[in-house]
Amino acid sequence: MDNILLKDKVCDLPGYFAAGGYKPLKKALGLKPADIIEEVKKSGLRGRGGAGFPTGLKWSFIPKDAKGPRYLVCNADEGEPGTFKDRELILKNPHALIEGMAIAAYAIGAETGYIYIRGEFAAEGALLEREIFSARAKGFIGANILGSGFNFELHVHRGAGAYICGEETALLDSLEGFKGQPRLKPPFPAVKGLFASPTVINNVETLAAVPAIIAGGGEWYAAIGTPKSTGTKLFCVSGPVNKPGVYELPLGVTFRDLLEQSCGGLKEGKRLKAVIPGGSSTPVLTAEEAWAVKLDYEALATAGSMLGSGGVIVIDEGQCMVKLLQVLARFYHHESCGQCTPCREGCGWIEKILNRLECGRGTRKDIDTLVSIAEGMTGRTICPLADAMAMPVISFVKKFRAEFEAHAAGKYCPPDAPVKR
Amino acid sequence: MPKITIDGKTLEVAKGTSVLEAAQLLGVYIPRYCYHPKLSVSGNCRMCLVEVEKAPKLLTACSTEAADGMVVRTDSDKVKTARRDVLEFLLINHPLDCPICDQAGECGLQDYYMDYSRAKSRFAAEDKVRRQKRRVLGPHLVLDNERCILCTRCVRFCSEVTKTSELDVMERADHSYIDLKEGRSLDNNYTLNIADICPVGAWTSRDFRFKSRVWFLKKAPVACLGCATGCLAEAHHNENVIYRLLPRPNAETNTWLCDRGRMTYKAVQAGDRLAKGVIKNGLIDLEPALREAATRIDEAKAAVGVLGSPWLSVEDNAALALLAAGMKTANFCFDFKFETGIADGILVNKDPSPNAAGAARVKAVRGGLELQAFAAKVASGEIKTVLAEARAAGLIKDALKTSGARLITFATNKGDIPAGAYATLPYASYFETAGTFVNYQGFERRLEPVVAAPEGVKPFWAVVNKLGAYSGVLLRLDSADDAMRGLEKK
Repeated sequence: MDNILLKDKVCDLPGYFAAGGYKPLKKALGLKPADIIEEVKKSGLRGRGGAGFPTGLKWSFIPKDAKGPRYLVCNADEGEPGTFKDRELILKNPHALIEGMAIAAYAIGAETGYIYIRGEFAAEGALLEREIFSARAKGFIGANILGSGFNFELHVHRGAGAYICGEETALLDSLEGFKGQPRLKPPFPAVKGLFASPTVINNVETLAAVPAIIAGGGEWYAAIGTPKSTGTKLFCVSGPVNKPGVYELPLGVTFRDLLEQSCGGLKEGKRLKAVIPGGSSTPVLTAEEAWAVKLDYEALATAGSMLGSGGVIVIDEGQCMVKLLQVLARFYHHESCGQCTPCREGCGWIEKILNRLECGRGTRKDIDTLVSIAEGMTGRTICPLADAMAMPVISFVKKFRAEFEAHAAGKYCPPDAPVKR
Repeated sequence: MPKITIDGKTLEVAKGTSVLEAAQLLGVYIPRYCYHPKLSVSGNCRMCLVEVEKAPKLLTACSTEAADGMVVRTDSDKVKTARRDVLEFLLINHPLDCPICDQAGECGLQDYYMDYSRAKSRFAAEDKVRRQKRRVLGPHLVLDNERCILCTRCVRFCSEVTKTSELDVMERADHSYIDLKEGRSLDNNYTLNIADICPVGAWTSRDFRFKSRVWFLKKAPVACLGCATGCLAEAHHNENVIYRLLPRPNAETNTWLCDRGRMTYKAVQAGDRLAKGVIKNGLIDLEPALREAATRIDEAKAAVGVLGSPWLSVEDNAALALLAAGMKTANFCFDFKFETGIADGILVNKDPSPNAAGAARVKAVRGGLELQAFAAKVASGEIKTVLAEARAAGLIKDALKTSGARLITFATNKGDIPAGAYATLPYASYFETAGTFVNYQGFERRLEPVVAAPEGVKPFWAVVNKLGAYSGVLLRLDSADDAMRGLEKK
């Protein structure tokens, strides 16, 4: 089947328009907002940022009788290690996002939208500014869009380089000009979000799927993928594969198909050891589990992991799991916002223990301590960053305990070399 | 109204009540660090996690609103484990400063460790996170970032109560720390409250640092006499020395205590404390000073003026009224009409004196001149000798200067004596003697002695009593309450 999101060629406005772009917007503006939400609900579209929350349902949480402004925010703060799909989507098909946002804004009654883009994505931010400018010139964005009387202004806001700002409420804080730290929920953003107004926050990939749903209808979209995980998903494959990159495939595709058909298999001489299926925060799968798994929300949950952001990190036999976990721990330690006690203190502690284990100065007891710290962090914080640290720790230790024990027993691997066997 | 069940006890609470507050009403204590009843809810310390039926995760009691039919457990194994874990996280990077930390004995970490954890440290092999220590921030506070648990009470206090927003959390993760914002200094008038609300030893008072262990301190209820607000306070003292004043939160007047008010106790122990009388600039014993003052009063006869004081208690003003009556002078004044009301939006009153309302009670019974008229009589020379408490004398200093009238004054500290005073008689401060004050709202504050006065220094009413005796007016006062005769109808 054809790709919905990622086209082969880079789509600027004329190209996008020629391929039928902005027709869905015109169609949407002729519908009632409630009907659009209904259509999106029917499509079964779920949040592509990681949590997989049903998009139509999220939109319907905006209080009907809310006075004052409402906001639509696109989360383009793509920071999850192993994930690089939103960047690709913005580079190749920016107007799908812009059009998707215009439709979503109309559906929820927002007249202002923000694209909060990761600070490092300077070029992508500039590209978006340029394309929004073109879209505005054609009347797809701005006042009285396509003569419908609906106004929607869209702004690009560059982040300042904090992973935590990918968490939606930290993102809102950052957008408001504060230090990005997750907020207590409730109130949820749909009730009290940006500038204390009702706000919907969606991932780039989610919003970019909206025009196709309006064009083809919710039922058409729902027919793609599996009954509960509908539509296509961008998978970002990294690691020792022949063709790493971003691939758009229907949800429910097997990992085997993704790896062997799309990515051309593992590099010569490499054997699969493990896979992190949905970005670095999701629990790792062993090779055996990975070969059997389908890539959709339910199948991965059953396998004990998550679809997450679709960042598929392929790990081969040459890699040291302790070293890998140490790298992850350094990342989460650095990126914890420092607000909640368990995350602030736990991430650093985990990194310290892993540093010791990795260079052969750890003990077996340390391994158990690692797990118990991770358990002490799970589900005890305002946002899921602590869980994002805890899940890899628990799954790495559980599934690759032998490697951790080998390190503790002194058979450590010297820096940057595979573990001795 | 939602009905909530906590640990098997059910209660109906007002809508908007948090689980933590509801538990408090039921007598169930939920440990907390970041929560403070007078600050916004932050939910960051995670100490107050409780189990709520049907909720998949533990919830923070401080930020969860009580809902109808909600069933909460604060004593389940899950909750106990969570508390132990959070405490362990808080303690791993906490320095072992307790032996030299002023907070020891009233420290949230020590207390909760004993109550909820008692676990052995598993953090032996790692280096603790190092942060700056002993940072003098502002005139009253020292910050130890290493002891800080980042509950952000101080940050919220400065942004929500004083609205000065000097503080913020810098950086991220376990390298985050509390600091002043660039170019700011922590010099608002309420900074010592930060040391009070800091649950650990991160913020300590420069005044109190290393002065005493808190478990030696005895607590006496007092009121602050720094202005007409008359905040309720608590004097912490030991072996006749006062160490600090802390607020005694109450619904009517104050939750906090301002820095200036907290420092009022210092005068009691100051180097310029008067233990003897002063004639011109020379110190002499009380008896000859009294005799000298009495002689001058006799000299002036009916040209004596008696000025009450809004810095004296009701009883002591009444004693002065009795003295004036005994001297048969019509020149007396208990009239101090200051503008009252909160000047800074928090506690400091427009009226700098603590008892204008109390003096007015004396005026209501005894009458007397208005302050303006009294001053005019001093300026015109009709009053030749003025008898006044030192700070009250300051109110008519221009008139005194104009006429050169002789001033016989009463003071606790040498620094209070107005320039040109002829004789000064010492008296005991209100930390050393009983007295009643009336704040601007009309609430009475009955003060009891906390420490003993310097040797030979008597309460104000006793000094008046003696001065009367030497000038032939027998007041027969045996106690402050005796002076209240001055408030009886003639």
